[in-house]
Amino acid sequence: MPTPAFLRGMRGKLIALFVLIKVVPLLLLAGFAWNAASRLGGDVSDKAGGMAEAMRATIGHVGKTVIDDSIRALDLRSREAIEALTVDTAREIADFLYDRDRDIRLAARQELSEAAFQRFLADHTRRLHKHGAWRLKADGKGWEPVTPVTPEVRMTRAILNDNAKDFHARPAEYLGEEELRPLFVEMSFITPDGQEKIKVTRGNLTEKSLKNVVDRKNTFLGAESYFPELKKLKPGEIYVSEVIGAYVPTHLIGAYTPERLDKAGKPFKPEESAYAGSENPVGKHFRGIVRWATPVLQNGKLAGYVTLALDHDHIRQFSDRLMPTEQRYTPISDASNGNYAFIWDHKSRSISHPRDYFIVGYDPATGRPATPWLDEELYAEWQQSGLPSDQFLAGIPSFRDPDLKRKPAAALTAAGSVGLDCRYLNFSPQCHGWNALTEHGGSGSFVIFFSGLWKLTTAAAIPYYTGQYGASRQGFGFVTIGANVDEFHRAATETADRINRLLSDKDAEFKAGREGLLSDIGNSLSSTALGLWGSTLVMVIMVIGIAIWLADRMTGRITLMIAGIHAFQQGDLQHRLSVESSDEMGELANSFNRMADSVEESFTRLEEARNKAEEASQLKSAFLATVSHELRTPLNGIIGFADLLHNELHDPEQIEYARIIHSSGEKLLGQVNDILDLTRLQSGEMAPQYELIDLPLLISEALLPLRTPLSQKGLNVSVSGIDGDLPPLHSDPLRIRQILDRLLDNAVKFTPSGEIRIEVSGDEHEIRIAIRDSGPGIARENHEAVFEKFKQLEHFLTRHHGGIGLGLALSRQLASLLGGYLSLESEIGEGACFTLHLPLQQGDLHA
Amino acid sequence: MPEARALIVDDIASSRLLAEKYLKLLGWQSLSVACGEEALAAAINSNFQLVLLDISMPGLSGEETCTRLRALPQGNELYIVAYTAHAYPEERQRFLGCGFDDVLVKPVERETLTALVRAAFPSTGGAGAG
Repeated sequence: MPTPAFLRGMRGKLIALFVLIKVVPLLLLAGFAWNAASRLGGDVSDKAGGMAEAMRATIGHVGKTVIDDSIRALDLRSREAIEALTVDTAREIADFLYDRDRDIRLAARQELSEAAFQRFLADHTRRLHKHGAWRLKADGKGWEPVTPVTPEVRMTRAILNDNAKDFHARPAEYLGEEELRPLFVEMSFITPDGQEKIKVTRGNLTEKSLKNVVDRKNTFLGAESYFPELKKLKPGEIYVSEVIGAYVPTHLIGAYTPERLDKAGKPFKPEESAYAGSENPVGKHFRGIVRWATPVLQNGKLAGYVTLALDHDHIRQFSDRLMPTEQRYTPISDASNGNYAFIWDHKSRSISHPRDYFIVGYDPATGRPATPWLDEELYAEWQQSGLPSDQFLAGIPSFRDPDLKRKPAAALTAAGSVGLDCRYLNFSPQCHGWNALTEHGGSGSFVIFFSGLWKLTTAAAIPYYTGQYGASRQGFGFVTIGANVDEFHRAATETADRINRLLSDKDAEFKAGREGLLSDIGNSLSSTALGLWGSTLVMVIMVIGIAIWLADRMTGRITLMIAGIHAFQQGDLQHRLSVESSDEMGELANSFNRMADSVEESFTRLEEARNKAEEASQLKSAFLATVSHELRTPLNGIIGFADLLHNELHDPEQIEYARIIHSSGEKLLGQVNDILDLTRLQSGEMAPQYELIDLPLLISEALLPLRTPLSQKGLNVSVSGIDGDLPPLHSDPLRIRQILDRLLDNAVKFTPSGEIRIEVSGDEHEIRIAIRDSGPGIARENHEAVFEKFKQLEHFLTRHHGGIGLGLALSRQLASLLGGYLSLESEIGEGACFTLHLPLQQGDLHA
Repeated sequence: MPEARALIVDDIASSRLLAEKYLKLLGWQSLSVACGEEALAAAINSNFQLVLLDISMPGLSGEETCTRLRALPQGNELYIVAYTAHAYPEERQRFLGCGFDDVLVKPVERETLTALVRAAFPSTGGAGAG
């Protein structure tokens, strides 16, 4: 880890040391204190919160226990009451039915005349209750009576103080408008061969003309088949039919309102849909009969049979007015809130229901039972079978795997064909429960979640055992009463609400108390923290301040000295340190000042020398440029006229002289150019021009002017490596050519016989061009000297080779200009090899 | 083909003579003068296609002369070549920048001059060229 910048100085180190010694213990102390305080606060908070929580939980638990117990008690009491109501209702129905047994026996003793029959019917009437006319509410969301009946309520009070405690009076029940209705809609006498001889009717429900009932088509709705049963009757025996009526389908289940009809995509025609109590009070009623029959004897011989058709409305009266709530009775049944009573026949079929479309019935067109409501699975099976529904269902076991998860067949629901035949109503498991409760007579109850409500449901067998109803102890069938559980433990629920409100009040109080406590603790902790950390901070700042002041004092002089030395380093050579004391620091300052004096002196001398050198260099450049210009002017004449002479002369000797003048001039020109190039290279005026180099072409062009001297000396030149896969080279072709020209020129010059080899090679960094001659070679100690400027100039006149002039010095400078270098391998007598190293790209060969 | 005429301007006689000789070999007539002033007078009085103009001369310098030649009515039709011993590349650039069409650096090889003239005047022939 690198040391932070401020710690590198002595001042920083001193400050850090102070801080470490003083601040860290301070912080530790403060930390310990804070930790102890906050732990104490936390403990107190936890304990207080826990106590409040425990108290709250205790109250909650007690409340819940009390409520549960009271709900349970109320539930049990309500169950008892509703079960008793169910049993009583079933018994009333049975009594009513037994009365009809008496009626049929009485009827059998009547005179066989229409007048007697008329009298009989007129004598048998019973009060029925009607709810009068209803209409759609103005907002269309329900129904209301046209003339609302407000029963007169006369307050009753306890006259005597002795009776005042819990004196509870109830006004007279209002069950609706009363009507005296004939019990029977038809009374007939049938001959032993089935021909109706006398028939008296009430209302329009049954056929008035006399027919032969052997043919089922001639019976009520074509649905009765009682004649074969009559034949089996012994004198005194009674036949009682099942409930027979035309099934009334519905447009929808539930409240019949324009809005819901619209949603279902059906027209709003309440009169054409089944009656459903307050859900559709103007609908079409289910109208049915139960037929009683018994043989008529005359003179001890069978004269025929008398029948009485009971108006089914009298049976439903027993369930339609019941209300298993505090209300007890209702003028109009209301199926919407889960409180209602049903009657089921001995085959578990609905024969009385607040919703008439749930009562099973017959299809008047065929005389066959209308298809009851089935679940999807059973419906699909029936559709598969291709049989009429009654035939199909005859082969299906009753209560086959009922489950709340089953769904009603959508097709039947849509068609409004939803008669409740419990045996096949497999999405309603309570059917099975009722049957289980009553199949051996008796009664009972259970609670079930159905249609979104927890309902207590009771069932009681109707103990009427005449005729076919004597087959089981279930008798005529059973009464069931459903009660919304919430309704009858409302008192307990209200208590629960009160307790819960109390609880939540207490809870809020506890919470507020707890919050208050916690916030007190928190406040106390905060002020402790503020004091603790505040004073710690003040002390830390003081310690740091003192540390800085001390460190500044101790290091100030050193810092000043460093600043002085730094200023001197930056070039302020006149800067001297002030000597403030005679101690070590003063001695140090004195020593520095003495050193600075001598450095400044040296600098001044160097500066002067450099200026002189620069002046000289500039003079040299100007001089050389002038030399170049002044030499070129006569050279123009020498070379030009030598050329002209060479063309114009005829004497071979003179021609040779002209050639010598020409070539000498050119050599001189070469030397002049070399001098110029060298000076320009040294002054940095020569900038290379980079491009992609065509090396084979460049080498062959460089060899071209050497052809004559080579052939004159009989030298061989070989080029190798040029055909290989050389990497592309970017460099300055002109400068490479200048270097090659000079190297080749030297090689030719110094090789008396043998050969010159040009070897090209390269790698990923550089290209090497080696020029190897078989000349006399160069001693190792002279290797460096051959590259030095003017070296050869000294021996120019003494060397028979004419010297190598400035060529190698210039070549070395040019190679370096291109980012490369020249190397030399040679030994005396073994020839020389100069190698030009060139980077592939400028900048590659700086390593 | 009008007669090919060149004006040679140089204060050094040998340089003038050499240029004359070389041009003659290319089939050109030429007039040689020794200074810029004379060159301007000659250019006003006579028609030239080519001017070989020295730079370092007493009196008007080559560059000044070039500028004045260009200012003449026919100045832009002249092919003016610097005929000089100033060999530095930046000097060459300077000459080209101040109105010269090309630069011949002394010593001038015959081949160089021949190539220059042939490139500038492709239609001029010359029996002595080669």
